[in-house]
Amino acid sequence: MLEVKGLHAKVEGKDILKGLDLSVRAGEVHAIMGPNGSGKSTLSHVIAGREGYEITAGSVQFDGRDLLALPPETRACEGIFLGFQYPVEIPGVSNLTLLKAALNARRKYRGQPEIDPGDFLAWVRDRARLVKIDPKMLSRGVNEGFSGGEKKRNEILQMLVLEPRLMILDETDSGLDIDALKIVADGINALRSPERATLLVTHYQRLLDYVQPDYVHVLARGRIVRSGGPELARELEQKGYGWLEAA
Amino acid sequence: MSLAAYAERFERFAAALPEAERAARRAQLQRFVADGFPTPRLEEWHYTDLAPLSQRAFEPAAGGNAALAPHFLAGTDRLVYVGGMLVSADSTAPERHSAAAPAQDEGVYALNAAFARDGLLLRLGRGERLPRPLQVLIAGADGAVAAMTHQRHRIELAENTEATVIFQFLNQGGGGLATHVIDVRLAPGARLNLFRIQDERADATLLTRCDVRQERDSVLHAVSFDCGGGLVRHDLNILLAEAGAETGLYGLYQPAAGAHLDNHTRIVHAAPQCRSREQFKGIVDARARAIFNGKVVVQAGAQKTDSEQRVANLLLSPKAEVNAKPELEIYADDVKCAHGATVGQLDETALEYLRSRGVPPAEARALLLRAFATEVLDHVPLAPLRAALAARLGLAGTDAWELEA
Ligand SMILES: Nc1ncnc2c1ncn2[C@@H]1O[C@H](COP(=O)(O)OP(=O)(O)O)[C@@H](O)[C@H]1O
Ligand SMILES: [Mg+2]
Repeated sequence: MLEVKGLHAKVEGKDILKGLDLSVRAGEVHAIMGPNGSGKSTLSHVIAGREGYEITAGSVQFDGRDLLALPPETRACEGIFLGFQYPVEIPGVSNLTLLKAALNARRKYRGQPEIDPGDFLAWVRDRARLVKIDPKMLSRGVNEGFSGGEKKRNEILQMLVLEPRLMILDETDSGLDIDALKIVADGINALRSPERATLLVTHYQRLLDYVQPDYVHVLARGRIVRSGGPELARELEQKGYGWLEAA
Repeated sequence: MSLAAYAERFERFAAALPEAERAARRAQLQRFVADGFPTPRLEEWHYTDLAPLSQRAFEPAAGGNAALAPHFLAGTDRLVYVGGMLVSADSTAPERHSAAAPAQDEGVYALNAAFARDGLLLRLGRGERLPRPLQVLIAGADGAVAAMTHQRHRIELAENTEATVIFQFLNQGGGGLATHVIDVRLAPGARLNLFRIQDERADATLLTRCDVRQERDSVLHAVSFDCGGGLVRHDLNILLAEAGAETGLYGLYQPAAGAHLDNHTRIVHAAPQCRSREQFKGIVDARARAIFNGKVVVQAGAQKTDSEQRVANLLLSPKAEVNAKPELEIYADDVKCAHGATVGQLDETALEYLRSRGVPPAEARALLLRAFATEVLDHVPLAPLRAALAARLGLAGTDAWELEA
């Protein structure tokens, strides 16, 4: 589904990704772990199409298509979703407004008519229940005045509403208490299916206790320096990243 | 400077006037000729130069046609003027039309006083309530060239009355000139919702002034929208003359390409315990210029004044030009006053976030513009009017109100 080959990316003239390879098949959950500043968010952003990154070499393919040639909104319509490490507040644009615009953009992309307003509300309310978001919050501005935990749950809500095929979650677990962490994990697990793939970008082992990854990769110095199964995450938890960074 | 063309047009106009009016109007024309059009030498006209109008010659407008039906608002009564003349067939409240009495004024508004003959006259007697909002459509005639229109309107609300009036200025083009004075008196306990919507064509000049005098415990809720226009100047003057009066001025300006738009507001707190709120927002793109000058004066003795004024501008291009200036003059000591002005750009991070969810850039921009404008649109309780404005301003789309409805 996702093929990243020899990816080199720069931010503001600085080399961040230096020859990164990653292959993700439908149905799989991959965890990307690594120390702060190793380029995890950069990788997530490059896949989602965020501006400000210069790709100097390599390729990213999604279902065999050149992803790097597509603008971010098209990637989203193709089924890529990035749960941001730092979700943005948009006062004045309600969560409902954003969700409706996003859903209808996808439908338009696929040549489908706009969603019926009644169906839309019912669908969103149903999904909001899964992540324990009060329906009243749906009318508030996107993430406006939300706590850190509410923002992360709101990212998961958007993901549940939009039902992407590739979910990239950038440190969605950081800063969450245990209840919120479980809610987030339940949301991710609810979407797990043979047609979907997940990229869990995380610093800690914690989330992986609730969302079992098939593969764990360690990102350091702009490359994947080690790959393995779930046991690698536990090893990292015990030994830290130092031994790999030095390697 | 040659104002001879104006004097000459006036003599032709005056020949048809009743003898009794002629002298008063001629005095106004002479006043205008003496004062001339305002130039940037006057502080109040620092950014807007009307001097080029002295070289122009306009013919008094004489009615005509305009396709206005799409602008008729459901659930309102209507008064329709095209080319300065009442269109009876389209007006459902012709009884609110009146011949304007001669008035005294100065500067360019003396020109208005010399020529103005027709307009709205809304008088409500004690305790009366206007059953439906009144829409006053003021349009230029199709195909009119270098026409001038001058009108005077009056709203007099007696004690404990309530009314909603919507002034809409549109379709003026052909290098025309229109001036309007709206004179408002609010007796104790009266409440007026006053909307002004300006959507003139690119080559029109529109000068409007609204003077409001508020007595004890009266309430004014005034909302102004500017979305078109060539050269447009609007003056809104509020006198809080007696204790307990309350005024709320809200506005959104989004000048069309090539437009020069100048909004001046002035709130005078002349009595204690009055409250004023003001919020104007501007969305300004390349090749447009917007000026906002909001002055609040708290006179000596206006203790316990509570005043707040906010101006926010969004520049959509580095070439857009905005001059926003809130001004506060306070001559009393026990008051609560706040004001502030900001100029900013669209939030790129928010745009990116919306795009990452699949929303196309144009729609994402519209959503953010709408979010910016919403605070002002929220001051329009009439749903059909709000919807029409949102559509005209390019802010339609998924609407929180519609979703919640
Ligand atoms: N916009 C930026 N400008 C300059 N440097 C950046 C920018 N974004 C990220 N970086 C740098 O790139 C490196 C990788 O950052 P990031 O991808 O956020 O790491 P991680 O998510 O693994 O913590 C860091 O050294 C960071 O300082
Ligand atoms: Mg990061």
